[in-house]
Amino acid sequence: MPRFALSALGVDRPGIVAALSGALAERGCNLEDSTMTVLRGHFAVLLVLGAPEGETASSLEESLAGPAASFDLVVSVRPLADLGTAGSFGGPPPQAVPGTGRGETWTVSVHGADHPGIVHGIATAIADAGGNISDLSTHLVGEQSSPVYAMVMQVGFEAGAGSEALARVRIAAEDLGVSCHIRLHDPEVL
Amino acid sequence: MVVRSVLSIPAPVLGTRAAPVGRVGEQEIALARDLVDTMRASPACVGLAAPQIGVSLRAFVVDVTGHKKARSCHGLVVMFDPEVMAASDPESAREGCMSVPDLTGDVERAAKVLLGGIGIDGRRLELEADAFEARALQHEIDHLDGLVFLDRVPGPANVYPRKVYR
Repeated sequence: MPRFALSALGVDRPGIVAALSGALAERGCNLEDSTMTVLRGHFAVLLVLGAPEGETASSLEESLAGPAASFDLVVSVRPLADLGTAGSFGGPPPQAVPGTGRGETWTVSVHGADHPGIVHGIATAIADAGGNISDLSTHLVGEQSSPVYAMVMQVGFEAGAGSEALARVRIAAEDLGVSCHIRLHDPEVL
Repeated sequence: MVVRSVLSIPAPVLGTRAAPVGRVGEQEIALARDLVDTMRASPACVGLAAPQIGVSLRAFVVDVTGHKKARSCHGLVVMFDPEVMAASDPESAREGCMSVPDLTGDVERAAKVLLGGIGIDGRRLELEADAFEARALQHEIDHLDGLVFLDRVPGPANVYPRKVYR
């Protein structure tokens, strides 16, 4: 079953998910992993779907033209390559991601007065330390005169490497003037 | 020794409220033995409920002996028809489940519980547990009510892929 990545964005209103998923179900597509959320009043959809043989990115975009017009959405579909043999869009096969074997997952929470460069500063410290961000969400909140930036992310490290690496993240947070809390998650299979 | 296969969602029995046992006889003791053997067969497994091996009865086993997060530890616990008599000190922690492949989730559970039920000897059994043992006991009781941890997470941001970092 060929896989595609779909992104859609538009002003949030009721019925967007129902309309998009309805058009895809009619084509026999199967929604796999997805994330859908409201970003400052806009509903953002990013999902990976499996489609019947013969479907193409443009045939799927055509089938979504109805919902896109009704809800004023920008919809884009791209074919995905099989990750076992190639990169996402058919390039060279992906390199192993640090920390994707047996490793540890940390939650990093950062918040402080908003200013440009917070995400970049923290993400650079994590990347330099060999960490891999697997999930990240940010929110700009508070009064317009004194906006607050809040960010929460999941970061993977090789087993045992997290504590030392995250010391660098704490330093980066200090340099940025934001507070930073870091928690190790050690899930138990019950 | 009988190691039964552990069912995964969407097996209907995992979404069904299990029936009370009422009294403990030979069949119930055999069920408990299968649960213990199956739990012991997976090194990381600290508990197993009857619905997970396809038996829709209110029975579970838990053993947190030697676990680094355990405070209270009653060794091997076998319980039928359990009920939570008191629960306090809710805390959130990440857990996975043998019956839910590839995912973990943050679940709030009481860090202190008092349970009542029937023990393997057929007598009334009450036990107080805290920390990890309390979590494990509540996780197993959820299985008897047809719930898995996914039914307990507070929101979509509290579910995580397991296979990547385990």
